[in-house]
Amino acid sequence: MNKEILNVKDLAVKKQNREILENINISVKEGEFIGIIGANGAGKSTLLRSLANQEKDFSGTVKLFNKDISLYKEKEFAKHVAYMQQDLQISFGYSVLDIVLMGRYPYLAWWQHEQKEDKEIAAKYLEFADVEELKDRKINQVSGGERKRVLLAKILTQETKIIYLDEPISDLDLSYQEEVFNYLHSICKLGKTILVVVHDLEIAAKFCSRLILLNKGSIIADGTPAEVITKEYLRKAFNLDSIVYPNKITGDLAIHTYLKKNFQINKKVHLIGSGDTLSGLVNVLYELGCSLSAGVIFEDTIDYLVLKAFQIDCLKEISAEISAEMSRQNIEKIQAADLTVLGNLKFTMQNISNLKDAFQAKKLIIIEDDDIENRDFTNGEAVKLYRDLVARDNVEVWNLKKFLIKIEHFLQNT
Amino acid sequence: MTKKVVFIILILLLMVSFVVSLCLGQMDIPVKTTFLAFTNFFGLTSEINVLTEEQAAVLYNIRIPRALIAILAGAALAITGAVMQGLFSNPLADPSLIGLSSGASLGAVIAIVTGLTAYGMFYMPMLAFLFALLSVSLTIFLAMKDKKIPPMMLLLAGVSVSIFIAAITSGILTFTNEHNIREFLFWTVGGLDYRRWEHVYLAFPPIIIGITMLCLLARHINVLSMGETEAAAIGVPVFKLRLLLLFIASFTTAAAVSVSGSIGFVGLVVPHIMRLILGPEHRLLLPSSALFGAVFLLLCDILSRVVIAPMELRVGITTALIGAPYFLYLLKRAQKEGLF
Repeated sequence: MNKEILNVKDLAVKKQNREILENINISVKEGEFIGIIGANGAGKSTLLRSLANQEKDFSGTVKLFNKDISLYKEKEFAKHVAYMQQDLQISFGYSVLDIVLMGRYPYLAWWQHEQKEDKEIAAKYLEFADVEELKDRKINQVSGGERKRVLLAKILTQETKIIYLDEPISDLDLSYQEEVFNYLHSICKLGKTILVVVHDLEIAAKFCSRLILLNKGSIIADGTPAEVITKEYLRKAFNLDSIVYPNKITGDLAIHTYLKKNFQINKKVHLIGSGDTLSGLVNVLYELGCSLSAGVIFEDTIDYLVLKAFQIDCLKEISAEISAEMSRQNIEKIQAADLTVLGNLKFTMQNISNLKDAFQAKKLIIIEDDDIENRDFTNGEAVKLYRDLVARDNVEVWNLKKFLIKIEHFLQNT
Repeated sequence: MTKKVVFIILILLLMVSFVVSLCLGQMDIPVKTTFLAFTNFFGLTSEINVLTEEQAAVLYNIRIPRALIAILAGAALAITGAVMQGLFSNPLADPSLIGLSSGASLGAVIAIVTGLTAYGMFYMPMLAFLFALLSVSLTIFLAMKDKKIPPMMLLLAGVSVSIFIAAITSGILTFTNEHNIREFLFWTVGGLDYRRWEHVYLAFPPIIIGITMLCLLARHINVLSMGETEAAAIGVPVFKLRLLLLFIASFTTAAAVSVSGSIGFVGLVVPHIMRLILGPEHRLLLPSSALFGAVFLLLCDILSRVVIAPMELRVGITTALIGAPYFLYLLKRAQKEGLF
């Protein structure tokens, strides 16, 4: 069990008679990588500032290594905790190296200048943050992302056990976002403790060992990413509807968020797919509020993963060929649906029953992105069935793009 | 240009302008003569009768103290300008903005109207010094909240205090005679004429102590100039340090203003030029600003003496005439480069 290094008890911050934070209790153990998440105005930055001893009017106690943070001398505190603020305006054109060397301030006596070893430490972190070649450039002449990395190098140069970061990746390119978190993750393993305010929930879920979710100044969830990033908490904190599912490709927690439409289309829609034919359209139908079913889908396909992520009622075939029983159930669902959508699938002898079942639809939209002749692996049988199907009155043939544009309107008018 | 070269050039410039300032004036003394007088003085040569009696008197009683005051005041004004700008992370800050000059003026006016000036030449500078510090303290007191001095608040409080004190000064002047007003007017536009060794003795200790301390604390000004939050995050005792630096800077400026009157723009123009050449690192900026401030004021004084000879301009007029347009030019340039 790692030892506790930071203890927050009954922390509250009040400004102009408004509660910014209340009733905050946190215990932080060495080596934790804590993401502080929450909507704008939830109090994330204020929390971090309070813990960094930068917030003057708070009540409650914050203990660092079992000592109240207000009892620390400034330099002593800065040797334990480094804090990177959200936006920093720098009025003067200091060189990048000058800025990074400022991180050595707590280690120097008032009359001292930076020593050789201070410069070596700074060089090390300049290299890490990949800004070494910028070291003689002026800070107001580097890009926003480069600036963030320079400031990251600066707080690392402070060589503290605890690091607080307020949105360290907000201006960074995607590649650097991951890189910064990757690095933070690795220094955590070496015993550093990190508290980071972060907007990107997926990155937070991927890298942090623990998440604290704030809502209107209070903690509403505190635990592992899987415990905190749930449909219920996300709705409460962000007023967002979402789908949370494990991403099979990366193993990370993936979050799909959307704003629920203020109207709901209460139509039953049945999806027929196989392979990767439904991934672009499931979320659209889901967000419109349709009640969805699907079949018959082979278990090892992307379509199946997508449907499962959305927790859609789905006929799953685990053997190599669709059985007669599955096909029967499929027809039942097709007949019950107001609309059936047939994906742009490749037809083989194993799944051709899906095409046959489609004839039972009350209304059918066929997604056609590739010519049927190129999708037929049944020696002409599928082409023939497909042409018969297309010729029917209650059938529309759309490509995916058209589907995404028109489906909302289409469903409202049928 | 390496940093060392800049400093060597500044020192050479200072020496040259010092000598030139000794030679020029209503009575020209040849450079060679001045030079020999110096080498004699330091025992390097032993020529006799280098200077006429008159020349010696002018040099010793008038020009040397005047040049020394120019050096002291120029250095003090420039370095404190640089310090204020760093302290409040604002390239436009200046000691005169926080009520210093107006306080000094009030002190001077009180000395003039109460007739203290007649009793001894120390009274006016002493009162100016005292009131300058008082008005700065008032400004800081008004701007302070929760052990913090927000820069914007300080500048605004400074403006209010300045206007308020200037009103009192004007009020006092309304009830005084024309002679006093004329005396005061001469004081408000700073000048270096009639400065004597006593003024040098008066200004030398506080200015030298101030400059030394500010240079020693230069690294701390670097971190303070990053802003309050950033400075506090790396362990800077922001409030205490700001207060200390404000006090030293005010003390140094007050010493300069008390012997030279208020001379504008040195504290803005000089640090700006040095920042363009050497960058914002205060460990280089402060000593170089002090040197260049001395050179700048010496040159302005020389110009003031020759431009409408045999009459003289007040040096405060010259610095403003050169400083204000140059400062505007700098601002425009910075604007073009996107620094503002």
